[in-house]
Amino acid sequence: MAQGCSDAGICSINHGFQTEEKQFKNTLEVATIYSLGEADVTYFSPYVSYTKRFNDRYSFTSKVTFSTANGSFGTRSQFGDAYLVGNYTFKEKPNKQWSTLVGLKFPFTASNLKINGYSLPLDYQSSLGTIDLFMGTNLHYKKWDFNGIVQIPVINLNKNSYFREFGGTDDFASTNLFERKPDALLRATYSIQTPNKKFTFKPNVLFIYHLGEDTYENIFSQRESIKGSDGLTVNGNLITNYRLNKQSSLELSLATPFVVRDIRADGLTRSIVAGIQYQYSF
Amino acid sequence: MKKLFLVPILFLILACQEEGSLTQGADTIVIVPDAMLEYSGTFAPTSGINVTGEAKIYLENGLYKVQLENFSVSGGPDLKVYLSKAATPTVFVNLGNLTSQTIYPVPASVNVADYSHVLIHCQQYNHLFAIAPLTQN
Repeated sequence: MAQGCSDAGICSINHGFQTEEKQFKNTLEVATIYSLGEADVTYFSPYVSYTKRFNDRYSFTSKVTFSTANGSFGTRSQFGDAYLVGNYTFKEKPNKQWSTLVGLKFPFTASNLKINGYSLPLDYQSSLGTIDLFMGTNLHYKKWDFNGIVQIPVINLNKNSYFREFGGTDDFASTNLFERKPDALLRATYSIQTPNKKFTFKPNVLFIYHLGEDTYENIFSQRESIKGSDGLTVNGNLITNYRLNKQSSLELSLATPFVVRDIRADGLTRSIVAGIQYQYSF
Repeated sequence: MKKLFLVPILFLILACQEEGSLTQGADTIVIVPDAMLEYSGTFAPTSGINVTGEAKIYLENGLYKVQLENFSVSGGPDLKVYLSKAATPTVFVNLGNLTSQTIYPVPASVNVADYSHVLIHCQQYNHLFAIAPLTQN
């Protein structure tokens, strides 16, 4: 989450792998995430998701996000993205199980939300304005989960029009007509359950590589690469799950990055992320 | 069926905005009385658009400024002011969002003599709204 993945999506999409509650066919999830970004930007980002399990193998998750960003530019709230994710779980073998997912993310905005007619940096946008394809796989091995996911922007609808030259601050890079490169994620999670099975702790580490430099169109109508916008982000994340009863649970997630890219014009700049989630299966 | 009407209402309610210190209104840019009028042109609309007014380019202390005079144009979602090398937005300098501000400084690195038009263009939907061909004064 700490890359600001509540926007880009790659970090939370692995929820699609989670199939612990196999006896229930439906799961509803509501969550809210509070995070701190670059400069003085703070975020409040709730989402709601629904998972339908067709059988032990196939499940389908849909999710809608919302975001409120607050800082020196003001406060801007809007729906972010809709996610549709299909998951296939392979037959369980001793101590290990593979699963895969394929998903799409659809933006609700063209990433050009304004305040009072002023263009806003991507840090204030509720979506990156791209239709993205997700493909991933997960290996569950004993108490470990290892997953790898790629997120590829397939259709760019981003019409952001923010220029540093007109922004009144040097805190944010120009992102006029921004074009984003793909991301690849590797995550390792270790699960520790208390003897009464009420609490599960899931410390995990995420490696996210941004596969290339993003670009924008400068004031002279020339496309320019954003130097230093590619590269590695390493995040640490601790998830604490409390099982309320057979059907519902509460989950607290805390995340922070240890390594970040030099330039994060895409606005994925969260320095600390705290999320709380309620899950109900039926 | 009635619930369907609630969806756009929900969007409107939740899609709120509140201005901050960087979006409260630009410092007023002025053109001093002794600035030299170098270029000017009258805006003409494209199909379906209403526009009135003139674009004037002044030279002031070695810097150029574009002024939109007696200007009004049909509303658009993402209107920009371009200093362009042609009547279409292919090679241009983006001077910023069209706002209540009427004066737009031209970056010092720009050779204004190379540019022949001031355009009003909706960037988000790539729709040209108005064209002012410039003539030297």
